[in-house]
Amino acid sequence: MIPSLQKSLESTFNDVRVTAPDDSRMSVFAPKDSIPIVLRYLKDNGLDHLALVSCVDWNEEGKLEVVYILSCYMRNNTEYTSWQRVHVSLRTKVPRDNPELRSVIDIFENAEPYEREIHELFGVHFAGHPRLTPLFLERNYEIPPFRKDFDTRKYVEDTFGSIPSVES
Amino acid sequence: MDRNQITKWLKSPGKMAHKYSLHAVYFCTGCGIIEIPPVITTRWDAERFGIIPVATPRQGNLFMITGYVALKTLKAIIRTYEQMPDPKYTVGFGSCPINGGMYWDSYNTIKHLDKYIPVDGWIAGCMPRPEAVFIGVTHLWTLIDKGMADGYLRYRKNYAAYRRNQEMVLGELDWPPLYPAAGETEEVTQ
Repeated sequence: MIPSLQKSLESTFNDVRVTAPDDSRMSVFAPKDSIPIVLRYLKDNGLDHLALVSCVDWNEEGKLEVVYILSCYMRNNTEYTSWQRVHVSLRTKVPRDNPELRSVIDIFENAEPYEREIHELFGVHFAGHPRLTPLFLERNYEIPPFRKDFDTRKYVEDTFGSIPSVES
Repeated sequence: MDRNQITKWLKSPGKMAHKYSLHAVYFCTGCGIIEIPPVITTRWDAERFGIIPVATPRQGNLFMITGYVALKTLKAIIRTYEQMPDPKYTVGFGSCPINGGMYWDSYNTIKHLDKYIPVDGWIAGCMPRPEAVFIGVTHLWTLIDKGMADGYLRYRKNYAAYRRNQEMVLGELDWPPLYPAAGETEEVTQ
């Protein structure tokens, strides 16, 4: 499945970079504007399961990398055998100072909580998301806490260390 | 019933009744709660010690905080604690409520639980074994006997300070103070 998909991807889109280390995994790098269309293409070609949306902070580079991890359900995939699981990751990089992406909820509906989480913990804005409200956090953080320049120990010292004991 | 304890029963029946009917609130926090099912079920039958889990905080008087306390959990813990009837005993279970444990530098977990609600006893360990729960319970008995498990009294006494700490970490709380404003002028004396 992977070699043919790699060929068709490269012939369909001219701005994606595909690397496939072996027959079961593939990494697709696409610019941020073509994420929805590439994702739709991958979905139509059998990768109908969005397992995870994740994010990596490349601090020195000044970029945030959003990773969509895809695989396929067994029922739709005739080539699936137990020894050949397919893992495809679709990556894109957005600038760190103005991270904005289009939401992919219209393609994969289960991306909704992942995008909310990434918005909250990394500060990536997903345009078209219906509710980017806080999901886990209770406090307001100046820097989203999963970014590399968030100084956890200093934050802990300032926030929790400054609270006095009630009874010594 | 132990014959040696008959005098105790006659002297302070209330204390003895509190000791042997600890009703634990089913409040699951963090990973420590995985030790509680073996404690309450047949292998280490907790009912030997008079402990049974109850459904709502309004029926319970033993509150075990079994793991790291995130800010969201702290909110629930405070609300649960304030709903429990007196007398109520709080036990911190595991190292995370004591000083943060392995989450000592986490951005979202409080480190010292006793800054926000009063705690009567700690069970240290990561994880404590079920036996440690029973050792903790027998220590709690001793404390109740001596009148030292007075967390609910300390909460009433130092409510202003506790409430201030809660508001410092959680921002504006969306429920009214448990005790009236007269206690708010009271300062911590110790």
